[in-house]
Amino acid sequence: MANLLERIILWLLGRPAWFRSLLPQRGVVGQLWHWFWNLGPSLWGWLVERWDKMDLFDESHTEKAKTNPWYSLGGMWYWVWMIVIISGVILMIYYIPVTDQAFRSVEEIQANWKWGLLPIGALVRGLHKYGADAFIILATMKCYRIWFTGDYKKPYELSFIIAMLLLIIGMYSGLTGYLLIWNQRALWATKVMATFPTYLDKNPAWIPGGAFINATNQGKTTAQILLGGTSIGPATVTRFYAFHFLLSFVPMIFFELRVYHRGFKRMNISHWAKFAVFAVILAVVIMIPAAQGSPANPEVTPNPILSDWYFLAMYHMLKLQDPYLATVLTVGVPALVLAALFLDLRPEKEWGKRQIANWIGIGGLIYFIVFSFLIINGIADIHRDAPLWYYSAGLFLLVGYFQDWGYVMKRDNKKWWETFHLFFVAFILIAMSANTLYHYFGDIREWNQPAKAAAAQLMAANKGMTLDVAFDHLEQTRPMLNLWMTPADALASGHPKGVELWKLHVFGWLACIVLGTAIGLVRWASKKDAEQAAVAAKLAAKAKPVGA
Amino acid sequence: MLTDNQRRLFLKGATTIPILGGALLAVHTILRYFKPTMAGGLKATMAPPDEAGSADQIVANLADLKNPWDSKDFIYVRTSVEYSSRKTQGAKIPGFVVRLPNDVPGVDPGDQKTWFVVVQRICPHLGCTFNFITNPSELQGGYNYKPPEPVHPYFACPCHLSVYDPTRKQDNGTGTLLRGKVVSGPAPRPPRFMKFDIKDGQIVITDTEGGGVG
Repeated sequence: MANLLERIILWLLGRPAWFRSLLPQRGVVGQLWHWFWNLGPSLWGWLVERWDKMDLFDESHTEKAKTNPWYSLGGMWYWVWMIVIISGVILMIYYIPVTDQAFRSVEEIQANWKWGLLPIGALVRGLHKYGADAFIILATMKCYRIWFTGDYKKPYELSFIIAMLLLIIGMYSGLTGYLLIWNQRALWATKVMATFPTYLDKNPAWIPGGAFINATNQGKTTAQILLGGTSIGPATVTRFYAFHFLLSFVPMIFFELRVYHRGFKRMNISHWAKFAVFAVILAVVIMIPAAQGSPANPEVTPNPILSDWYFLAMYHMLKLQDPYLATVLTVGVPALVLAALFLDLRPEKEWGKRQIANWIGIGGLIYFIVFSFLIINGIADIHRDAPLWYYSAGLFLLVGYFQDWGYVMKRDNKKWWETFHLFFVAFILIAMSANTLYHYFGDIREWNQPAKAAAAQLMAANKGMTLDVAFDHLEQTRPMLNLWMTPADALASGHPKGVELWKLHVFGWLACIVLGTAIGLVRWASKKDAEQAAVAAKLAAKAKPVGA
Repeated sequence: MLTDNQRRLFLKGATTIPILGGALLAVHTILRYFKPTMAGGLKATMAPPDEAGSADQIVANLADLKNPWDSKDFIYVRTSVEYSSRKTQGAKIPGFVVRLPNDVPGVDPGDQKTWFVVVQRICPHLGCTFNFITNPSELQGGYNYKPPEPVHPYFACPCHLSVYDPTRKQDNGTGTLLRGKVVSGPAPRPPRFMKFDIKDGQIVITDTEGGGVG
């Protein structure tokens, strides 16, 4: 019996080896095969190495922080976090997490919780609110510092990833926190936020597995888990209360455990600096008392309606985008930033030697400021603005790309054709073709009525539709970049310009992506082959008896 | 005979399966804690989401809607699912009844039910409450939409500037044509409908389209 079991186990274990024997050991296929089988251990090794070097609140930059204030951002950030947690716990004493009492209880805290003449409640609430704003500002500044100084480069990737995640957690904690006041802004921001995930059930059919993902209803389930039911109500408030505390407090426990384990100084700033930060927040609290707004009313959406300041730019983006694309982008932008980390593989940390990274950072900041300004002042021509933003994004990347390219040519003393990085070219082509498509389909819609009429007539003639149906079809190609629009749809429109553009861009992207990937893979495999050959040669030299 | 290495490899593989299974069970349990209506076992992965229930409710009198473009906003109370000890809550769904003029395509002077557009005021984009705008300059200034001639009122949402045309119909994504075609802004479909009957000169809501966040 034991013998049989052993034979079965041996047979099972033998399979990978047998499969391996069918495949080449070298070249692209062989190296991909090795890579696949070593994926687990190599990922684990990657993580362990970064975990050791991880720097969360600039605790390993204590010396630098003495001369360079940018390196005391981490310490200040942690200090502000502590202020927010402590003031939050104090607020919990009088806050009532029930829909019909929440707003009143906050009013009570603001007006009637006093010590003599000192309005303790108002001060503590102000510290909590402005402390949270300071938390987001400092987190953003720290992310930018890591980005611009190149401190995210190997082996410090995890520092940046954790800082970004803490920033996102902070923003989400802010969102769950401001519903607790139960005012108009909170209610409508929560509604928008909770409706977001439902678009994850609306994947277009041409995405592989899209129909299956839609059938699982995971987007709606997520929304219902967040809200505690099918609508915003008492269950939402208690849930958000719990999430708010959980998200803010649990990461702190992990950081404290690391401090305890490693025995480093928690905050790399002096007591004077701590006092100064506290004083600045207190000054803001006294000068601009935290507003409360009007109680939530699910029957009336105020016009205009704004979210908290750190979501404003995203809110503006929602006006310009198709909602599915906007949802994907909202989840995707932080993911893209984290991915950009792994595209920038050169070891140079100097400002002038990695311009594309700089432009991504500066561009992001510019969009954030400009979009926030636009939405606060209600400036938007949603039919015309979007191409401008796409074009400018492409422009930032293009400028950075050429600057970087110039640097690499100079560094390696090479001609331009020797340093032609296909991947970035592909990237820019994608951005530019998106612009062009956008412009084209926007063109036939709102602001160019004659062009639209001509397109509809052509389409009606080509496809044997009535003019009205053709118009309707064209209108579905909304001015927003529309993911439902397949190449087949574009071709069906029968517009010669559309057909040509689609062919050009679709084949352009495909060629760039396939070529770039192929060249990259071949270069990677030949490097790996050389490494393996060197190891084998060393082993052979060792095995040879001396003097034979 | 198994070598030490082989034994280790096999044991590693053999322990992975129960550990993964345990992790899945734990995730499932946590999800069911957050969403108690979730089905058990494998059914949970494909279960339909919770939907609100509805009951008949009188919302408007025909006497108030005699002229073209007369409108009435109302609140319809729907039984919404809530994950708490009371299981449900009454969720207020704002709605609009609008009387269409007779020259709009699809309006049959002999059939009273075709005279009215009855919609939920919850914007199908991201859930804000939209408005019924009768003033074209307000539409152009506040909602970034210049209506073509002849001008008539539109539904328009203040959050992300979606504008709906009540005289025209559009597919709601499942093959049903609904009034309130999107003419501007990011909304992907027309507003959700309310099914209604006309009894004794009153409009009675009998059912509502689900799917939105109330």
